[in-house]
Amino acid sequence: MRQQTAWDAIVVGSGITGGWAAKELTERGLRTLVLEAGGPITAADFVEHIPSHQMKFRGYGDPEVMRRDHPIQRECYACDEVGHKFFVNDNDNPYTTPDDAPFRFFRGRQVGGRSITWGRQVYRWSDLDFEANAKDGFGNDWPIRYADIAPWYSHVEKFIGITGAPENLPQLPDGEFLPPMEMTVVERHAREKILAAFGGERVMTIGRAAVLTQVHNGRAACHYCGPCERGCATFSYFSSIGSTLPAAQATGRLTLRPNSVVAEVLYDPATSRARGVRVIDAVTMQDIEFNARVVFLCASTIESVRLLLNSKSTTFPDGLGNSSGLLGRHVMDHHYGSGASGDMPGFLDKRTIGSRPNGIYIARFRNVKTPHKDFLRGYGMQGGSSRSGWGRGGNMPGYGETFKRELIDGLGGWRLSASGWGETLPHPDNRITLNPTVKDKWGIPAAHLDVRWRENERAMDADMQVGVAEMLEAAGCTNVRTHASRNPPGHCIHEMGGARMSRTPADGVLNQWNQSWDVKNLFVTDGAAMASCACQNPSITYMAFTARAVAHAVDEINRGVL
Amino acid sequence: MLSLVPRDAEAAWGRILSGYRVVEGLTPAQRSLVSGIADTILPRSDTPSATDVGVTEWVDLIVAEYYAEDVRTPFIAGLDAIEAQTRSTHGRAFPELGVEMQRQIVASLDVPADRRTPEARAYSRLKSLVVYGYFTSERVQRDVLHSQMFHERFQGAADMPPRRTP
Repeated sequence: MRQQTAWDAIVVGSGITGGWAAKELTERGLRTLVLEAGGPITAADFVEHIPSHQMKFRGYGDPEVMRRDHPIQRECYACDEVGHKFFVNDNDNPYTTPDDAPFRFFRGRQVGGRSITWGRQVYRWSDLDFEANAKDGFGNDWPIRYADIAPWYSHVEKFIGITGAPENLPQLPDGEFLPPMEMTVVERHAREKILAAFGGERVMTIGRAAVLTQVHNGRAACHYCGPCERGCATFSYFSSIGSTLPAAQATGRLTLRPNSVVAEVLYDPATSRARGVRVIDAVTMQDIEFNARVVFLCASTIESVRLLLNSKSTTFPDGLGNSSGLLGRHVMDHHYGSGASGDMPGFLDKRTIGSRPNGIYIARFRNVKTPHKDFLRGYGMQGGSSRSGWGRGGNMPGYGETFKRELIDGLGGWRLSASGWGETLPHPDNRITLNPTVKDKWGIPAAHLDVRWRENERAMDADMQVGVAEMLEAAGCTNVRTHASRNPPGHCIHEMGGARMSRTPADGVLNQWNQSWDVKNLFVTDGAAMASCACQNPSITYMAFTARAVAHAVDEINRGVL
Repeated sequence: MLSLVPRDAEAAWGRILSGYRVVEGLTPAQRSLVSGIADTILPRSDTPSATDVGVTEWVDLIVAEYYAEDVRTPFIAGLDAIEAQTRSTHGRAFPELGVEMQRQIVASLDVPADRRTPEARAYSRLKSLVVYGYFTSERVQRDVLHSQMFHERFQGAADMPPRRTP
């Protein structure tokens, strides 16, 4: 069935980047259709204020539901007893991997996508990141530098509101910060000790997060209730449904169509352009074609690549816009989780009040000034400190009245911990392809993911443990214990690459404007576009790229060249 | 023969044949033991006891509907071993013993000579469940901990409040 209306723009996906594409396109005058594979969500669906005692399993989760519907998704911390509804049913949404290369693909199909459940940490990249591929030769040279994206970071940050503290670090540029959240007394102490011990090279700062510490653009400040991953009734952290989509709606030019599974981008060989998309209605299973002047893919790294691979034509038998043959290659995720923890003696007269939806961040310090002997690139660290409270009771010796009183009145000692988030080298064999036989509920070929940690990642993981442990010791911690991550690729949910930007058409899939080299009215602005993955949480960079790409597209339309 | 039944029935039948367990919690004797140990760990004082806030029902639910078979079986076996040992040593079931004797038994389980015995493992698991069930209960959250869900700001260096009891 072909829709008669032709839209100015189609956006595939309504999450972090889809929302931004919708906002920027509509505000610049384009009538925009946003297609979301999942169903609608409203604030009434949020479940962050349900106390444990109102959950049957008090937060442990219903094992039968998890086994049945979320055997993979349940491995994500946010797929919990009440929040699992923001994660896909694994039976409807299969993917495959080689037997010896596990991959965790955590997905949310609903209006808002994963912006409902995301970790909210936002860190600008720097030229240390944009120049990395060119300098050490792994991957291709980025077609842009920090100066190209810096104003777009500001544009995005001012709108969504981010909290943080300026540190004036060249490898971690400051942003447009709302007031920072407080560090704990132990974190403040550790920051000073670590600064002194490492000659100012290692900086522990309060996390930078897309959470409001004051009223911002009509959204209320955070109320520090805790489980952001279950939603936010006051939209105090950034999500597309609380921020960009309402802005797009306000223009009167947005049409949002949930339950719209995009099966392929349709190519018109006569004009060498994308004509539109073929959608399968998730409920009726009916095929519908939508047409537009420009198409933005914002479906998430793996989904956008999968969609392009599935968009085959005589001109592009191996996937749309794949003249380079690089579509699906150089897939990355952050390898993360190795680090250390320790006890911090003292400070027993102090406690925290409220649940801080944020932690501490230690800016990258490896391979910033001097090369490390074991690995290229680097890692940032995330962590925090707390007193264990009654939670320590299960392992605390004792029983009876004294034991109970100690758990009610005492909070236990302070613990400080941190883990690394490491950059993965872009490798051509870390790859997304289509499974020739396995299909999802809508008959679309499943993604086959072959992504592996390699030598550089393993060497960096080992150093994360050393790096954190020596800082904790410098901070004065006792009983410092290291932990080694066993997280497979995908687990960090920072999947990137597969349709990388490049300086030449032979060297990538997209140009410096996130625009397909082969199909001029086709843009990919989610994580698929990334040519390297740095070590910073990537979402803010996708948002900046999206806004920048829209500005370019609309400019070309207005000049009559698109 | 199975190919003749509808798909759903076939799936259900398959689960039964593969040992799918019908929901089943603690026996009355196991419930009494769990209640007795729970109230020895967290007895009634100026604050409620474990059983006052439904910890036994919480443990029962976890056993019946949460634990997988490989956790549930050794847990139940460990509870039964505690009960059997109590009977053979003291001639009576745990709940029928005096408070002092109950405390002695819990003391020996709490710091066991060997942490790997079925009894020690089951006790350790039970203690974690008791503490979690107690402190996540509505009454303890509201009346004992005075938990607040909403805060104007996060404080990272607030003073400790005065202790409730010296």
